[in-house]
Amino acid sequence: MSFPDPIAVFRTEAAELLEQVEAGLLDLNVNLGDKDQIDAVFRGLHTLKGSGAMFGFEALAAFTHHCETAFDRVRKGEVPATQALVTAVLDAKDHMRALVETPSGDHEARSEYLLASLRQAVEGSDGNASPAAAGPALTLYKIRFSLPQNAMANGTNPLPLLDELRELGECRIVADRSGIPSLDQLFPTDLHLSWSVELLTAQPRSAIEDVFIFVMDEMELEIAAEQASAPAVTPAPVEAVASTPSAQPVSEAPAPVQPPAPATAPVPAVVPVDAKSSKASENVRVPAEKLDELMDRVGELVIAQSRLSQLAGGSGDLQLRAVSEDVERLSGELRDTMMVLRMVPVAHLFGRFRRLVHDLAHETGKTIELVTEGETTEVDKSVIERLADPLVHLVRNSCDHGLEPPEERIAAGKDGAGHISLSARQQAGEVIITIKDDGRGINKERVRAKAESSGLIQPNASLTDQELYQLIFQPGFSTAQTVTNLSGRGVGMDVVKRTIDALRGTINVASHPGKGSEISLAIPLTLAIIDGLLVRVGSGRYVIPLSAVEECLELSIEEDMRSRGRSFISLRDSLVPFIRLRDLFRTGTKPDPFQKVVVISTGSERVGLVVDQIIGDHQTVIKAMSKLHHDVATFSGATILGDGDVALILDVGHLVAEGQQQEAHLRAAG
Amino acid sequence: MFLGVFMTTSTFTDNHFSLPPNATLRTITTIHQDLLEFVAHNDATVVEFAPDSQIDISILQLLEAARIYAGTGGKAIVLAKPATGTLLDTLRRSGFLEGMSNDDANFWLHQGEIQ
Repeated sequence: MSFPDPIAVFRTEAAELLEQVEAGLLDLNVNLGDKDQIDAVFRGLHTLKGSGAMFGFEALAAFTHHCETAFDRVRKGEVPATQALVTAVLDAKDHMRALVETPSGDHEARSEYLLASLRQAVEGSDGNASPAAAGPALTLYKIRFSLPQNAMANGTNPLPLLDELRELGECRIVADRSGIPSLDQLFPTDLHLSWSVELLTAQPRSAIEDVFIFVMDEMELEIAAEQASAPAVTPAPVEAVASTPSAQPVSEAPAPVQPPAPATAPVPAVVPVDAKSSKASENVRVPAEKLDELMDRVGELVIAQSRLSQLAGGSGDLQLRAVSEDVERLSGELRDTMMVLRMVPVAHLFGRFRRLVHDLAHETGKTIELVTEGETTEVDKSVIERLADPLVHLVRNSCDHGLEPPEERIAAGKDGAGHISLSARQQAGEVIITIKDDGRGINKERVRAKAESSGLIQPNASLTDQELYQLIFQPGFSTAQTVTNLSGRGVGMDVVKRTIDALRGTINVASHPGKGSEISLAIPLTLAIIDGLLVRVGSGRYVIPLSAVEECLELSIEEDMRSRGRSFISLRDSLVPFIRLRDLFRTGTKPDPFQKVVVISTGSERVGLVVDQIIGDHQTVIKAMSKLHHDVATFSGATILGDGDVALILDVGHLVAEGQQQEAHLRAAG
Repeated sequence: MFLGVFMTTSTFTDNHFSLPPNATLRTITTIHQDLLEFVAHNDATVVEFAPDSQIDISILQLLEAARIYAGTGGKAIVLAKPATGTLLDTLRRSGFLEGMSNDDANFWLHQGEIQ
């Protein structure tokens, strides 16, 4: 029997909690009176503290306690939420992450510094909020609760909960041990205890519910209230037992607790709070590497199925063909299911930019509003992970160079606050992520001057706007007049370009002087398996991603001869450039009598690829090119065909760009 | 890894099963396996807590489970010393001391009866 590593589980949970806390703080920063966000931040901090203590992260628990206390005061109306407090807790949250990741590190000095900032933020607040009114008459609550079986493994320590109940008033707590199994049946990280509690308190029911606030959704809690005219719970003898020397007979301890007699008939106020428990248990957390492993297996299955199909197709055995078709269908369904499992919404990715923009606004002294759209758009998890860095560079660039300082914006008749929008949408087999700002736009003249001075282009070279904008992605290219700690070294955009290229994506730039710029990243939805169109060029076979294929046409020898030197086909009144792959790949073979043109596109750009034969569609498991071939731009990867041969996968973005370049040159030549 | 900074394994001599200084959820899986094996191979088990040991509710639950296991197998399990210090405090905080039976009081506190 293998058990999950509780520390690893805690770290995962803590990371999620910290993200929730950060999101809550950023929302609160927009609306400082938002009670829901104050509660959400408090709950997150409270849970993190409790879980941290449970798993031995004492420094984390102690540090988080101070932030929790600060928010508890905000929650109770003792101090107002301020931007200074939000900023202090945001900084503290980063430190909590460090305390989770490297608990044995030297964090003391940083902790002290941050806690001093936190104190300052709290003390700097106007603490004139009215204290809570005196509580109502004493009430006896009979409470029964059980936590979910995996509560301890998930970081919930029952002891602090019980301690908190004791803090509410006079309390008698009895553990119900009847659910504990025999040692050989025990799952030691599961919780098999439940509790019954009698609590005499002036606090309202909500104070009891608050104790369980962060486990409420998954636990069973019953609270029955009875009015009590006077405190009826005698001091618990457990205190005496606890301080009694062990040698002393327990019988010498003070008189035992008697349950207080109810002053009135019990009020039927049972509150079952387990409505969501069944829903929560439907989700299973799976380590990402397990998904990758499964994906590899599915990939191998798809290749094996492809070989089986080929063998079955070549044999006259009808039964074999039927089985092969079944396997093909099943492996296709399995592949589709697998792809869905790997898809995650971009909300997770976008979430981190709220914090980035908040910090950048602080650093640059600008007011920046970030708007995100299309957060539910789903993308393969490996794509999401790799998009983070390029997006950071693009957002930083927009904040630092794109948006003007408030006074400059106002002088230009704009809103003093700059706006950045981050949006995602699916389009065919791609996800389009757009970063747009309403800043000063890209200065074309400066880009050209810089490109000329650094020898990237010839002086007065004829370039389209798009070609000119693409120069900003060259290594070391920066038009910034000053290098700040945010950007200006010309490194970031190079990273963007390299990452997007590696993802087989494309970058499109649009800019309007004085109005802002827009950079769109078009990325394939998945990097693992694609539907491809298998074609033959000479004696070699190649795969074109099917999502990029618009249509297929026949190119007769006559038409081919006619188009020599121009390489355009007329397609519904528009000229589409085409590339003869036989020439590009230098096959040295004669063209087939009836060649085919496969029209592919990225966005609005189209290009035709002339091939000798279209073989058919092919489920393509993408294998990365070897390091030796990593720089070959025409291909984005390779795949193994059913007969064991290797076919190269064409890089659509590169070929379309090449076709467009060819068109531009031909147009320029008249 | 953070787990390696303290001793996590239990030690055994004769019929004594000594718990590690950290007997919490972080080490409970190992302790469970060791104790199960130990009790299975011994007719009587004396459980010893380390001085100033770190404990939590998971070890209380484990020892209760061990009592059930020993009882059904006709074996004996006792604590080497009555609960004091952190163990007693954890028993109190977790509500174990309320409503104790004679057997419970005998096991945890070495008391014949708790009133």
